[in-house]
Amino acid sequence: MFKNNLKIALRNILKNKVFSLINIIGLSIGLSAAFVIGAIIYYDMTFDKFHSDSKRIYRITTAFLSPEGDFYNAGVTVPLAGALSDLNMPELETVAPFFTAYPLRVENKKLDFSFKNPEFVIYADDDYFRTLDYIWLAGTQKEALSAPNTVVLSEARAQIYFPDQELTSLIGKTLIYNDTIPALVTGIVANFTQRTDLVFEEFLSLKTADVQDMTSAVVDAHWHNTNSASQLFVKLTPNASKIEVQKVLDGISKEHEAKERVAIGRSNSFYMQPLSDLHFDSNYNTFDFDDQRASLLVLRNLGLVALFLLLLGCINFINLNTAQASQRAKEIGIRKTLGSSKKQLIFQFLGETLLLTMAAGALSLVLANGLLGIFSDYIPAGIDLSLYYDALPILGIVTLLLIVTLLSGFYPALILSGYKPISVLKNEGVKANQRAGLRKYLTVFQFSIAQIFIIATLLVGKQLHYIMKKDMGFKTDAIAYFYTPWSDPAPEKKERFIAKLEALPMITEVTLGGNPPASFSTHSMGVLFQQGDQEVNSDLQLIYGDADYFNIYGLQLLAGRLPLNDTIREYVVNQTYLKQLGIENPESIIGKTFKADDENHPIVGVMQDFHQRSLKTKIEPMAFTGDTNGSRRSQFRVVSFKLATEHSSQWPETIAQIESIWKGIYPASDFEHRFMDDTIERFYAQERKVSVLLRWATGLVILISCLGLLGLVMYTTQRRIKEIGIRKVVGASLLQLNMLLCKEFLMVVGVAFLIAIPIAWWGMYNWLQGFAFKTNMSWWVFVGSGLAMLVIALIIISIRTIAAARVNPVKSLRSE
Amino acid sequence: MLLELNNIFKWVNSGGQRIFLLKDINLQVEEGEFISIMGPSGSGKSTLLNVIGMLDGFDEGEYNFLDESVHTLKEKHRANLYKEYIGFVFQSYHLLDELTVQENLEMPLLYKKYKGAERKAMVADMLDRFNIVGKKDLFPAQLSGGQQQLVGVARALIASPKLILADEPTGNLNSQQSAEIMELFKKLNQEDGVTIIQVTHSEKNAAYGSRILKLLDGRKV
Repeated sequence: MFKNNLKIALRNILKNKVFSLINIIGLSIGLSAAFVIGAIIYYDMTFDKFHSDSKRIYRITTAFLSPEGDFYNAGVTVPLAGALSDLNMPELETVAPFFTAYPLRVENKKLDFSFKNPEFVIYADDDYFRTLDYIWLAGTQKEALSAPNTVVLSEARAQIYFPDQELTSLIGKTLIYNDTIPALVTGIVANFTQRTDLVFEEFLSLKTADVQDMTSAVVDAHWHNTNSASQLFVKLTPNASKIEVQKVLDGISKEHEAKERVAIGRSNSFYMQPLSDLHFDSNYNTFDFDDQRASLLVLRNLGLVALFLLLLGCINFINLNTAQASQRAKEIGIRKTLGSSKKQLIFQFLGETLLLTMAAGALSLVLANGLLGIFSDYIPAGIDLSLYYDALPILGIVTLLLIVTLLSGFYPALILSGYKPISVLKNEGVKANQRAGLRKYLTVFQFSIAQIFIIATLLVGKQLHYIMKKDMGFKTDAIAYFYTPWSDPAPEKKERFIAKLEALPMITEVTLGGNPPASFSTHSMGVLFQQGDQEVNSDLQLIYGDADYFNIYGLQLLAGRLPLNDTIREYVVNQTYLKQLGIENPESIIGKTFKADDENHPIVGVMQDFHQRSLKTKIEPMAFTGDTNGSRRSQFRVVSFKLATEHSSQWPETIAQIESIWKGIYPASDFEHRFMDDTIERFYAQERKVSVLLRWATGLVILISCLGLLGLVMYTTQRRIKEIGIRKVVGASLLQLNMLLCKEFLMVVGVAFLIAIPIAWWGMYNWLQGFAFKTNMSWWVFVGSGLAMLVIALIIISIRTIAAARVNPVKSLRSE
Repeated sequence: MLLELNNIFKWVNSGGQRIFLLKDINLQVEEGEFISIMGPSGSGKSTLLNVIGMLDGFDEGEYNFLDESVHTLKEKHRANLYKEYIGFVFQSYHLLDELTVQENLEMPLLYKKYKGAERKAMVADMLDRFNIVGKKDLFPAQLSGGQQQLVGVARALIASPKLILADEPTGNLNSQQSAEIMELFKKLNQEDGVTIIQVTHSEKNAAYGSRILKLLDGRKV
């Protein structure tokens, strides 16, 4: 029976090549999207699941609650770890504090090797290894980190520091951190082989930090300071109640809260973050800053896209197969008279669907591989097809194929198997139109989704264009900047650098100052402005620079003057600050002062507003000031320069020259420059990704919908070929016939348009709320997208209808 | 007694009027009979045949088939009953275009849960008996009408039914092909004892049967 059905299925698929192809392509687009997105979701969902006891491990983090909004820090105050272990709670198996550190240099004196800026170094104690299970390749976990000046290395790191040496022979060797801190290797642990956010490679004993602290976080131990470098992991005992621990934590934070903060409505609380949340919780960072972490929201949206594409594929399937049903009516009738039961027929048709789905699935695996290549920028590096070798994804794929088979095959199977053999065999034919209603609804659904996607793509593109092209309020053209190294603040070097830059022919302007007017970093201070009885508290953003800085970025002074020199702190404030103070005339604020840190600072000028960050945020009160912090803590560490605009082809050469100057002055650091335009583009990296993904999704949705439409049109014209012949004989023109045939499909597209508009409007309205500056949701975007859809549909339909209308009526009317 | 129809009525309602397709039909069929149903178009011949074949229901009356009362059986049991005892032959053959001759013959056996080897043997036997071994791998479209109907008859016979129902089996055939099929029926009836009920327009074909049943406007005349 199975073999027979398989044979029939194969022959049917081959007989209706076009329909089968449309079915397979439609399904495989949905499936491959589902495979890729499923792989991403699976990848992100399987972080840190492999630790033994992973369900009992928590990270303690801090949430700061204030009337202005909450913010979060992944670290905790340093004394918390001690306070928790002193309690000796039965609920806590381990309390493992550790501190992330960023050594400048590690040396292996024996080999005279030196390594710059090693990443993923932490100070930890033995409790860390009691909390998380590592495999020890050399040394033992017991007391590996109990003495000062000891270090445990990961296998990967050990191979870098001690190339070509037996791991076990490394025990007792010495490394020197930051020239002065010796550390004895007491153990080598294997790197985690599965996905993890715990990416640490070097574990210095915590006691080392008591004496020689590279972070200054460890010794900075009091209750009112929270540094994200100070991390705390705990492992609960089996069956311990998380609520009990949380209660104790709440008690501790209550006990140590600062009264003056409570008075203004601020408080902080400790939060137990399950290990499994580490990868998703965007409130708290993880340890590898390069790693793009998943957001559940993004995953959800991607999942929705995959779901839509799959649904559309299934709808195509249902549409085409019910439309085609009458062609198989005879077979059903015969099979029934020969004794087939309805159930057997349903299984037969489901089997055919399964066959098509599996073909689509096989095709999808190839497509998915291609998609992974195309979207490599958007997909975490660890994702490739090898993910599918795990048991769970394979199970997932099989389940998905079965679900798709049921979803798309069950309804047509039900319809087909329900035919009465008697009416089929009497040659009465099946009234094929009886199911047209449902098919129309499904097509409307398809085109509504396609329409929504088109509108969304257009509006996202429009908004992106708007914010990219909107005047930031300062010059960005041909301006680039770079940071001088933190570790080397000597002002003479900077001056020498500037002088050398000025000598370069392609550079028209150079200035040393703070961050550019718009950047990812913020620096602000709380200030108090007194006007009569009124006091206005503000958070004032600060930028630092001199007159050259003002010029190079083309900032506009509206009133007053720039700060005079480096010795007196004088401020130029922006219009938004004036607005906040309720002052209209810029002149009237000149000479007034605001108070910060109990000192009065004079306001000497007013500058025009400009955008300090992406257009997602509003313009904040801001002040411009000179460099008054002294050379050691100078804010003047960014060199901005303007290149000659008319010679852009020579820019790379100039940049290379700057780099060679850098090598001469700062040989220990790497040169990294950035163009202002790129910085602004980077503000919208997320939105650009959304835009690109949306364009792809839209293309695919349109493709699937059009394939479905094409199938339906082919079917309908085939059925109406006789009617077309008769109409032609009585004198209908080609155009009239085409209009007649197109009409019902264009109605479908029109109805879909009407359904799509409010949904798209609502969705895009919400999306635009994420921007402080929004483009208009113009009517022409909606009308245009509707027209575009109509034109696309018309082309697809006409391919078939014109061909049908041209058929010689003699042929179509000839009876057999 | 193979089957018995008592006071069978079948009607449709059209425009407030009840139109009778079958009116008070009584019929007893013994095993081994060869009955021809005759009558003009629209007289209810095919309807009666479909009722006997359990493909169609009726509105009033009793139908007993091998001492089972068909009118009280559920759909599933009824299907089992005709699956086991009845074979159909159609005017337009109704072979499946996608299947070869051999596969067409095999199909009824699939639904009766015969084992693979058994099916093969039965199909080979049938091909042999009807002299169509050479055509076993051809598709219906590659055969002449007479050959197709031969396959149709073979398919009806393959599961050794007690009753063959044939709806104008020669309606699409020329006279020579017709004669061959009718001879075949006669042989089956006489040598193998298969009960046959056929619908036919031709007096000549009807003459092959042992009894003729004439219908007019749904009534026996």
